[in-house]
Amino acid sequence: MIGVRATWLLTVRALRESLRQPANEVANAFIPLFFYVVTVGAVGSVAREAFGVSDYKGFQLPVAVLQGAAGVASGAGLAMTVDIQSGYFEKLALTSAPRLALALGRILADAVKAVVLAVLILALALLYGSGFETGLPGMAVLLLATFGFALAYSGIGVAIALKTGSPQAAQAGFIIFFPLLFLAPTFAPIEIFATWLEVIARMNPVTYVLVGMRTLVTDGWDWPALLKGGAATAGIGALTLSLTVLALRGRVQQ
Amino acid sequence: MAEAIATQGLTKLFGPDIRAVDGIDLRVEEGQIFGFLGQNGSGKTTTVRMLTTLLRPTAGTARVAGVDVIAQPAEVRRRVGVALQEVGLDELQTGREVLTLQGQLFGLSAKAARERAAELLEVVTLTEAADRPVRGYSGGMKRRLDLACALVNDPRVVFLDEPTTGLDPITRDAVWRYVQELNRERGVTFFLTTQYLEEADRLAHTVAIMDRGKVVAEGSPAELKARIGTDVVALTFAGGELAARAEAALARLEGVQKVLRAETEVAVYLPNGAAAVPAMVRLLDEAGAPAEELVLKQPTLDDVFLQVTGHHLQTGEGAGGAGAAAGTKLAGGAP
Repeated sequence: MIGVRATWLLTVRALRESLRQPANEVANAFIPLFFYVVTVGAVGSVAREAFGVSDYKGFQLPVAVLQGAAGVASGAGLAMTVDIQSGYFEKLALTSAPRLALALGRILADAVKAVVLAVLILALALLYGSGFETGLPGMAVLLLATFGFALAYSGIGVAIALKTGSPQAAQAGFIIFFPLLFLAPTFAPIEIFATWLEVIARMNPVTYVLVGMRTLVTDGWDWPALLKGGAATAGIGALTLSLTVLALRGRVQQ
Repeated sequence: MAEAIATQGLTKLFGPDIRAVDGIDLRVEEGQIFGFLGQNGSGKTTTVRMLTTLLRPTAGTARVAGVDVIAQPAEVRRRVGVALQEVGLDELQTGREVLTLQGQLFGLSAKAARERAAELLEVVTLTEAADRPVRGYSGGMKRRLDLACALVNDPRVVFLDEPTTGLDPITRDAVWRYVQELNRERGVTFFLTTQYLEEADRLAHTVAIMDRGKVVAEGSPAELKARIGTDVVALTFAGGELAARAEAALARLEGVQKVLRAETEVAVYLPNGAAAVPAMVRLLDEAGAPAEELVLKQPTLDDVFLQVTGHHLQTGEGAGGAGAAAGTKLAGGAP
């Protein structure tokens, strides 16, 4: 109970920090929206003939949402390095709050921000003409999946930040995401990939997260795809949480 | 009297070769102000970090506020307050928010934390600035807020690691007055590291001197100074060569217990300094090493530090004993 309260207090503090630095959040929103509009503009008109996708705006919507979530999620690591370098992290570590709450508060705040950004991207995509096969319930599931993915993914930046204390290294959380995204069916369905790329894409957990989200937008309720997406998110989360716990132990009890 | 802090063989190794803290035994009684002195790198901060559960000791035991720091670190944190060397604050929050959050993380309700924050802001005279972001605070204001953070959980033992470094004299004095007040009126135990020897001399009930990871002297300032048992004649020369010549000459003076040299300064320890000054001046004339300045003084903590470590304590601006050369190693010894 103490841990839950401490996590919540630190989440609120991290969210308040974002409200006081709105420029950071504008950058987080700009990148996925820019890529969304540009990609749809470049490929959208040939998507049906090239790879049989009729709603390319919908096809790209989960990409923008994931990109936004990964961008926001890398902020936790960066913010953590600011706390470490300013000495505030140690001030918090010297309270009686469980130390895991120091990491979880940041991570949870990023997940909340990722959902807010996903709502914005979703609204703009719908205005832009994207369809959404599963309607409002599907949108809620999409937001839930975004929350889970951001929760799982921000652990990478936080773990790196705790391990190194370096802002440059912590930003690697976002950099790692790009190869993962480009090695997934981001621009076209996996079925048209070259064999070598398809093999890699099928080993990439982001593929399952993306495909699960995409079915909500373009296909309808596809439970196996959603379960695979959930499992991939859980796998990423288990890995990043373990790394975070190890890095946290290393930082406060060397 | 009960012990607020007790360590036995407390040791911290960084890698196989660096013995930052080397088996120290400390005993700090409740209600004391304990001054922990040492050069940068002597192991003071590492000791504080182990006692406050930020670092795990490599060996030995430590109890703080009656609790084992290794077995029950969370309980130790509940009972102590800590202000580390670097002021650690969230610059985007206001002073009031920083203190309120700190209180809540110590388990206070939102209302109690707000009330405690208001009380402490008053104490550290930051009420007017309480609702401004910390990034707009001056260095002194940040240090005061940091000190208030260390007191938010009403601790019985407070660790202050170089709490007045970088503060202007007025703020430094205000911090020390508050420390004394808390100690006197509420019996709070303070464990403080400082590079200001005069302040340690004035405030601390007990002082320990740390050198290369070991405690090399411990006692009340008066006891430590009495151990020197001599007067000190501090001489300054125009150059190092003259000082070296003077060192050799003065070592021959009758009754001299020790002569130490640091660059252009020479310190002579002897029982009756005033009586020996004429002979000293004659000897220096004969040796062709006239002193530019000669000061006869009672031993200070700086002299104690010099005697037990062989060097002056590295000090900041306006601190330390007279003639203290920053971090200079002294050569010499008993004649």
